[in-house]
Amino acid sequence: MSGGNSKNKGRSKRHEGWEEAGGEFYQELYPGGEQELFENLQRADAAKLATLLPSKQARNTTTVKRGRSQNERRQSTYARTTQSRDIHLAMMPDLSENLSNEERTWEEIMQIKAMPVPMLQKRELKARLQNATKLRLQGFENIHWQQRKVWHRFRVRFGEIIGKLELWQSPMREIEGTFGTGVVSYFLFLRWLLFLNLVISLFVTLFLILPKTILVETQHTCSDYEANSTVCCSQYYFEKNVTDSNIVLDVIQGTGWMEMTILFYGVYSNEIYTYFLNGFWETQMYYNMPLAYILVPISWAVLSLVAIVKAGAKGFKEKLVESEGQLYKYCNLVFGGWDFCIQHEKSANIKHKALFNEIKVCLEEERIKEEKQLRTRESEILLYLRRLLINLIVLVILIASGFLIYVAFNYSVDRLGTGSSEQSDVKVDNTYVNRTFERLTISRLRFNQNAGVLGLYRENSFFEQLENTLLEFLPFICIVMLNLIVPEVFNQLISFENYTPARVVIVTLLRTVLLRLSSLAVLMSQIYMYITVNGIICSLENKDPNRLECWETYVGQQLYKLVLTDFAIQFVTTFLINLPRAFIARHSSSKCLKMLGEQDFSLPKHVLDIIYVQTIIWMGAYFCPFLPIIGTIYYFLIFYVKKFTCLVNCTPSPVVYKASKSKSLFMSVLFLGFVISIGPVAYSVAELLPSLNCGPFRGYDTVWSYVIETFDRFPFFFREIVFLLGTSVFAVPAFVVLLFFLYYYWALAAANRHMVAVLKNQLVLEGHDKQFLLNRLSAFIRQHQKRCERRNRASFADDDSSIRQSSR
Amino acid sequence: MTENQAHSIAVPVEEIEKLPELKENPFKRRICEVFSHDGSGNLTFEDFLDMMSVFSEAAPRDIKAWYAFRIYDLDDDMYIGRGDLLEATRLLTRDELHAQEREEIVASVLDEADVDGDGRLSFMDFEHVVVRAPDFLSTFHIRV
Repeated sequence: MSGGNSKNKGRSKRHEGWEEAGGEFYQELYPGGEQELFENLQRADAAKLATLLPSKQARNTTTVKRGRSQNERRQSTYARTTQSRDIHLAMMPDLSENLSNEERTWEEIMQIKAMPVPMLQKRELKARLQNATKLRLQGFENIHWQQRKVWHRFRVRFGEIIGKLELWQSPMREIEGTFGTGVVSYFLFLRWLLFLNLVISLFVTLFLILPKTILVETQHTCSDYEANSTVCCSQYYFEKNVTDSNIVLDVIQGTGWMEMTILFYGVYSNEIYTYFLNGFWETQMYYNMPLAYILVPISWAVLSLVAIVKAGAKGFKEKLVESEGQLYKYCNLVFGGWDFCIQHEKSANIKHKALFNEIKVCLEEERIKEEKQLRTRESEILLYLRRLLINLIVLVILIASGFLIYVAFNYSVDRLGTGSSEQSDVKVDNTYVNRTFERLTISRLRFNQNAGVLGLYRENSFFEQLENTLLEFLPFICIVMLNLIVPEVFNQLISFENYTPARVVIVTLLRTVLLRLSSLAVLMSQIYMYITVNGIICSLENKDPNRLECWETYVGQQLYKLVLTDFAIQFVTTFLINLPRAFIARHSSSKCLKMLGEQDFSLPKHVLDIIYVQTIIWMGAYFCPFLPIIGTIYYFLIFYVKKFTCLVNCTPSPVVYKASKSKSLFMSVLFLGFVISIGPVAYSVAELLPSLNCGPFRGYDTVWSYVIETFDRFPFFFREIVFLLGTSVFAVPAFVVLLFFLYYYWALAAANRHMVAVLKNQLVLEGHDKQFLLNRLSAFIRQHQKRCERRNRASFADDDSSIRQSSR
Repeated sequence: MTENQAHSIAVPVEEIEKLPELKENPFKRRICEVFSHDGSGNLTFEDFLDMMSVFSEAAPRDIKAWYAFRIYDLDDDMYIGRGDLLEATRLLTRDELHAQEREEIVASVLDEADVDGDGRLSFMDFEHVVVRAPDFLSTFHIRV
C-alpha cells in the first residue's frame, strides 16, 4: 500500500472496486459461520490460534486472509510490517452497513484521525469514504452540519493559536529537555499561581483601584463636625505633611509618601460615591466603596478556594487511579520510566542513573519489607526511639526559631522606639506631632528636614538611617535566614530515621512547611499584640510617636516588606551565592570544592518558596490591595530566577520526581497555606476594631458590623429568605438530605469497589479459561490435522491404486 | 516535491537517530523501525509525520498505547515477551543492573501485568496496565 504502483492500480479500479471491497470486508468482519471458522482453523497452525479469539478479532480479523493475499504481491521482508498494518484495516468504519449521509461520512473522516495507521492509509480511507455514495443533506440538517463543521474548524484553529501563545513555552521545553517532566510540573505550578494572581489583581483593579482613582470624593471639613468624629481624625491623618524623605527607602518600606497612595488600605474612602449621568438617563449612580472593599476580598478568596479545589480534585482523581497503580509499580517503572522529552546527553545519563537507582530502591523496598517481618523486637524499639528523638529535636528547632523571630521583632521595635524618643527629647519640631505616624522612620524624617541646618549631622544620620532600615528589616531577615538554614538541618536529620524514599520527601516537606508557616504565625501574633496595645487612636489627639494611626496600613506595610525581602533574598542567593558556587563546582578539580559547590534542584524547597509567597499575598491582599499585582510581577520575575537556578546553577537531582505525584502534593500544601493565611484576615474582619483615621470602615465596631448594617438595608423579602436559611426549619432538613446524599454516594462507591474487585478476579479467571481452552483446541486441531493427513494419504493411495488399475 | 516523493524518498536511519529529539532515547532504533513503512528504520516524510503525530501531546491515549506496545515489542512478534522486557530494562539502565536483578524486575512486571498467565504481554494486557500507569501519558511525548 505504500508503493506508488499499488496506488495507481487502486485509482484505476476505484469505481468498480469499492463495492466489492466493501463486501469482502463485511465477510471478514462477520465470518459466515462455522464452515469458514473451520476452514480458518485448518489453515492456521496451532500456535497462532490465539489470534482467532473474539477478543482479538477486533484488531486481527483480516490477518489471515488479507495478509496472505497481499503478501504474495510483496517482497518477503515487507511481510511482517504489512501484516501488522492490515490488522488495522479491520478498525475501519463498516462501509456496507447503510448508505450514510454526508454528516456521518464527515464524522467518520474525523474518526480516522484517531486510528493507529500510517498516513497513507488514512488518506486512502478518507478518499474511499469521500467517494462512497452518500445521501446529500437537505435543508435544516445541512445548515446544522455546516455549522458543526465551521465550529469544529474554528475550535481546532483556536486551539492552535492558544497553543502558540502559551506563556513560556520554549523555556518549559528547555527545562523538560534537561530535567524531565517532574521539574516541569513545578514550573507549570508557578505559571498557574501567576494566572491566579493575575485574575485576583484584575478583580482588585476593576473594583477597588479604578473606582478609587476615577471617582471624585466629596470633601468634608473638620470644622463642621465634632472634634472627635472620624471626619476630623482622618482629615488630620491625611493632612500630616509628609514632605521629604529618602524615596528609595520609602519605596522598599512602604512608608512616607507611599503610605498615602492607593497601595494601602488607609486611603480607601468610606463614602458611597454618587454621581450623575447626563445624557440619556438623568439618573444618579452609586458606588458603595466600603461594600466593594469587603466584597472583593471575599470574592477572590472564594475564587482561590474554587481554583485550588478544582486543580486538587483533578490531582486527587489521579491519585486514586495511582493508588490502584501501586499494583503496577514495576510496569510504571519500565513502561513509563523513560522520559521521551529528554534531549541532553548529560540529563540522559542522569536519567539512566536515576532509573537504575529507582529500580534498586524498589528491590530494596521488597527486601526491607521482608526484613521488617524478620526484624527483632529490640531493633524495632531502637528505631522508634531514634525517630522519636529526632522528632523532638525538630520540635525544639521549630520552637527555637519561633522564639528567635519573637526576640528579633521585639528587639527591633524596642530599639526603634527608644531611638526616636531619645531624639525627640533633644529636638522638638513643630511638625513633629503630626508626623508621629512615621514611627519607624522618624529620625530619618527629622534629619531630612534639618539637613540644611546641620551639615555635619548628615553623615551621622546616614548610618543611622542604615541602622534603622536594618533594624526594621531585622525580623524579616531573620525569618528568611531561618528558612534557608533550618531545612538543611532537617535534611541531615532525616537520614538517621530510616524512612522509605517516598516518605522522606513528604516528611521533609511537612517539617519545612511547619517551619515557614510557624514563623509567619509568630510574626502575625507579634503584629497583633503590637496593634492591640498601640492600635486605635484618633490622629488629632495622638502625641505619642509609637502609636499607630492606621494599623491596617501598618500590617499591609509589614507584609509588603516581607514579599520584597523574599524576592531580594531569592535574587541574592541565586545570583550572588549559588552562581559562584556552581561556577566553582564546574571549574575546579578539587573534590572538596566540588562538594561545596554542587547543588541539585530539590523540588520541595522551591515549591515552598513560591507557596510561602502566595500565603503572604493572601494574607496581605486585604490590607494592601496592590499585593496581588505585586505578586503577579513577583511570579513573573521569579520564573526567570528559578529557571536560571534550574538550568545554570543546578545539576539534575538524583531523586526522581514524578509529575503525577507532585501536582496533588503542591495543591494540598497550597491549600494549607490558604487556610493559614485566610484565618488571621477573617479574624481581623470579624473581631478587630477598624482604625478611626483611615480606611473604608472608620467609625464602625468591626468590619462585619458594617456588612450587617448594609444587609439590613436590603429589601424585606430578601432578608427574610436569608434569615429562613439560617433557622432550624431549613437547616435540619437540609442536613438530613445532605446526609442521605452522602450515604448514597458512599454506598455507590463501596459497590463500585466491590464490582472492581469481582471484575478483576473474573478477568484473571477468564485468562486461565482461555489458556485452558486454547490448549484443548490446539490439541484437537493437531489431532484433526493428523487425521486429515492420514485420510489424504489414504485417498492418495486409493487414487494411486485406481490410476494404476486404470493404466493396466 | 511531487506527489509520490513524500512516500518514496527515505532518510536513512542513521540520520534520523541524530535528531536531538531522538539522540538520547534508548529506544531510538526501535522507534524508527516501528514508524518506517518497510520496517528498515529509514523514514520517508510521511513516516516522519506519523511519528511526530503519535508523539504529539494531542494524540489520543489509545494511539499512544498502541505504538508504545509496538516499540516495547522489540522482536516484533505482537507480544511483549520475557526477552523484550529483559532487553528493555537493559536499555533503560545501561547495563548497570545485574542479570539476576533484571530477572527479578521482569518477573515482577509479568506478575503485575500478565492477566491471562501466558507468560507474555499481549496488547490487551499492555493497554490495561499502561492506561493506569500514571507516568505513561506524561512521558510518552516529544515536544517540538
